[in-house]
Amino acid sequence: MAAEAQHVAGPLEQFAIQPLIPLHVGRYDLSFSNSALLMVAAAVLVTLLMTASVKRGALVPSRLQSIAELMYEFVDGMVRDNAGKEARGFTPFVFSLFMFILLGNLLGMIPYSFTFTSHIVVTFALALTVFLMVTILGIILHGFHFFSLFVPHGVPKVLLVLLVPIEILSYLTRPVSLSIRLFANMMAGHTMMAVFAGFAVSMGVALGWAVGLLPLLLVIALTGFEILVAAIQAYVFAILTCLYLRDAIELH
Amino acid sequence: MGIGFRIGVDVAAALAVGLGIGYLLDAWLGTKPWLLVVFFFLGAGAGVLNVYRAVRGMGYQVGLRHDGAHDEKDG
Repeated sequence: MAAEAQHVAGPLEQFAIQPLIPLHVGRYDLSFSNSALLMVAAAVLVTLLMTASVKRGALVPSRLQSIAELMYEFVDGMVRDNAGKEARGFTPFVFSLFMFILLGNLLGMIPYSFTFTSHIVVTFALALTVFLMVTILGIILHGFHFFSLFVPHGVPKVLLVLLVPIEILSYLTRPVSLSIRLFANMMAGHTMMAVFAGFAVSMGVALGWAVGLLPLLLVIALTGFEILVAAIQAYVFAILTCLYLRDAIELH
Repeated sequence: MGIGFRIGVDVAAALAVGLGIGYLLDAWLGTKPWLLVVFFFLGAGAGVLNVYRAVRGMGYQVGLRHDGAHDEKDG
């Protein structure tokens, strides 16, 4: 069986970064990679969707316009419900974040494309942006009082020595868990699909096509599931951003 | 899968952050194993705290409508 298989792509090969336009500046490799290409595609698609739909701004919306309006109202409602009324100025930020991640996840579902959200560098950069923005916002709004976030209420003074470091660590965990959640979900899902697709080939060759059909059916189910995960993970990222915003704005 | 995975990530991330900070502080201050040990336990504590908050604020943190500001701060 192994003899006739020249090159079967491993399940992790889909995550390889390939430089498309090589560019080296000093010690840094700034090549325009497939990851960057997909990021540009996601950003451009979101921009096109929004500009094309808003351009005419009809009272009775066209299909494209109602997609854009539905999306925006969805995110607007999410910000209002989870971050509070004062946070509505951040709707555009949360919206761009949500659409960028959603488009990245969904574009990654196209065969032979690349999922940039499956790389922790990308998700960590996004999460760090959110984290720094929320922290700076909190400090701007509340000044030094913002650090009372780390002091739990109604705790004996002695325990504060232990609890304040734990609170600070718990706060510092946010960008890490936010980025790991998105990256691990995307990477695990895509790896699983590739593994089962590999099963379909190898079981079909070794045990006959009828047996190979079983993993193939599973791959079809997983594809649907992955599209769901793509949407849910973008949603979770946006929701958590809203909750962090609320923490910084309301400060309990 | 969603909730269990999310909470697992919270624990692992807190431990990783604790260990990372401990390791870096050790390298910086030259107190080789000690701060790593201390921050390991602090990270474990932060992980438990994360889980506690995630579970207590369940339903609201996953994004269901939240109707008042009477929750604890982290949800």
